[in-house]
Amino acid sequence: MGTTDRKLEALMEHLRLSRRDFVFGGLAAGALTLTPRFAAAQAAKPYKLGVLLPSTGTGANYMAHCIKGLPVAIAELNKRGGLLGKHPVQMIYRDTETKPDVGAREAKSLILNDKVDGIFGTYSSAVALAVQEIIHEHKVLHFAATSNSSKITQDNYTPYTYQFCPDSNMQSGAVVVAVAKMAKKSNWKTYVSLGQDYEWGRDTHKGFTTGLAKVAPGIKEARQLWFKLGETDFTSYITAIMAAKPDFMFGAVAGKDAQTFMQQAGQMGLFKRVPFPGGLIPVNDLKQQRKTLPRGIIGLARCPFFAHLKEPIMQAYIKRDLAAFGKDDYPDDWACMYYDALGGLEQGAKKAGSISTEAIIKALKGATIDTCRGKRAFRTCSNQLEVPSYVGEVWDSPDYPFPIYKPDTLVYVEAKEVWTPTCEEVEKLKKKRA
Amino acid sequence: MDIAPYLLQLFSGLSRAMVLFLLSAGLSLIFGVMNILNFAHATLWLISGYVTYSLFTFLSEQFGASPWMLLPAIAGAVALMSLAGFALERFLIRHTYERELPEQLLLTFALVLILGDVIKLVWGLENRRINLGVEPMEMFDTLVNPYQFVIIGTGVAVGAGLWYFLHRTRFGKIVRAAVYSRSMVSALGIRIPVIYSMVFALGVGLAALASGVFLPLLPMSLGMDLDIIVQCFAVVVIGGFGSMLGTFVASIIVGVVYSFSILFWPDGALAMIFLILIAVLIWRPWGLFGTELRS
Repeated sequence: MGTTDRKLEALMEHLRLSRRDFVFGGLAAGALTLTPRFAAAQAAKPYKLGVLLPSTGTGANYMAHCIKGLPVAIAELNKRGGLLGKHPVQMIYRDTETKPDVGAREAKSLILNDKVDGIFGTYSSAVALAVQEIIHEHKVLHFAATSNSSKITQDNYTPYTYQFCPDSNMQSGAVVVAVAKMAKKSNWKTYVSLGQDYEWGRDTHKGFTTGLAKVAPGIKEARQLWFKLGETDFTSYITAIMAAKPDFMFGAVAGKDAQTFMQQAGQMGLFKRVPFPGGLIPVNDLKQQRKTLPRGIIGLARCPFFAHLKEPIMQAYIKRDLAAFGKDDYPDDWACMYYDALGGLEQGAKKAGSISTEAIIKALKGATIDTCRGKRAFRTCSNQLEVPSYVGEVWDSPDYPFPIYKPDTLVYVEAKEVWTPTCEEVEKLKKKRA
Repeated sequence: MDIAPYLLQLFSGLSRAMVLFLLSAGLSLIFGVMNILNFAHATLWLISGYVTYSLFTFLSEQFGASPWMLLPAIAGAVALMSLAGFALERFLIRHTYERELPEQLLLTFALVLILGDVIKLVWGLENRRINLGVEPMEMFDTLVNPYQFVIIGTGVAVGAGLWYFLHRTRFGKIVRAAVYSRSMVSALGIRIPVIYSMVFALGVGLAALASGVFLPLLPMSLGMDLDIIVQCFAVVVIGGFGSMLGTFVASIIVGVVYSFSILFWPDGALAMIFLILIAVLIWRPWGLFGTELRS
């Protein structure tokens, strides 16, 4: 067992998997991977899957469920024989530390040393853009399911990357739809923006301001406030927002910074004075901030399990995760999207009849796949999965030990409602990169 | 002219300043006395936060949930972390006194990585928070978090306490003497290694106090130590290594300048801090209140 495996084992152990769960869950993936080699007369080549997600840095908190959930999902897939029923999936995990240089280094190591066939990851868009250069150079399949800067599938497009998460433009577009409705109702005129000063924050802000200017040109941005990743004290930002007396605020804030901001802003009463519609509030935050999250606040989510309870894949997924991790440990948005990525890999291989990268990317081009979010197709020009964004009001549900979005306020903003730019424009952006 | 927004910004700047002071005081003390640049200081602060969280949760389960449980939790964490600091100096840091600065930095950076993994293994990846249920209060026609008064009060009390300790107690005077000349202190028959162990324990204890006080404001999360250590170094360099007064004043400068920069020039807020740092390094490389010569 290598160092990486030992580190993963230790990590899994402390992600509250009991030793028994770990042995039957995590190691099942490896064991089942090896079994066919001895059992079958003609041993099929295993599919080596590199997983690049952070267990350190600003993205660690959001990725915890993904990191513990993927081995269990892979073990389940391997019970069916793996890809095409004969290629067991072998997962090799690496920590990106939420840093582009580390992500690129680990991607290179996975490709050159571990000879992976495909890579899942990463959390941060900045890291994903760095990783894309490596996977493009080495022609390795790459499934992104959390990092969602629009550049990943547009300016920095590579045929090897497939995106399972609504991109930053789609998410901003969803917030624009919600804000425009609320602005009309409440006669809002000004707003203040607060964002993380890096690729995703800037891209999300640009998408929102551009989108809002088109649908509600009368609403003006009074101020922009940018903070460095990892900010620990938002007091001065919050007082500056209050001093500007805006009608509402827009936030491009995610990860642990979002939790810190929400906590400090709640304690300072910011949301009592300034509405904050469309801040990213995924299932993690609903669970972790169950006591402090202001009820009635309008949140934005990427793949909340409660929005697709009727989907058979989502039902099975929830059932399996609750059985593996405990009755309250519902999968979060990020884990759900990586589960869809694994499903996409399985379906891509099946459609291609092969596990080769070239065959899978050809098979997935414009293909429709079954996901936790229903049947979804990839946009041909960018390999972006046509998935919705979710906007809704945070509300205490009698069915869960944490708040969810109130069902009658939950809006599914479909991808096609907020596609920006058009496919023609995407083609121009791609040419610009080339 | 409405001065309320400026007063509020000053208030938030002071709150930020005291956060920085509480964190930097131990770092400055350890470097001033022991000449050790402890890169792991913020990591010890972070692990203290997790320890405080665990003690708070345990006490709340045993004796019922109450915000007041934070006080014994902080006291317990300070005691435990001071002991850990004492042991750390005794068995690890002590071996680096005669080494070059890069070697000290490497060792303390290794501690950052090791302690980061310890946090991962013991507490997992999820953020840890304490909710005291504090409600905002109105001030200058806007709302503020009353807990910020606790932060400012604790910062001032710790500053005053450290001043008293260093200037009015025998042990404090020995510590100050060690800043200027450890060989002279040693020649007087005072056991320098014991002084060093206790100073290191005190520095780590201060970090533990800081983390406990911040916990109701700030969820503890992996990697936060590296986010905050740079600003602590800036404070200590501006104030002068080893000078508590310098650390206190530099914290106020950094906190207030940062806060007003957000109001007037948000894009340059962080740059302003480092411009001050550069100016101090050029004008007074030993810091505003540091001393030029030390043996």
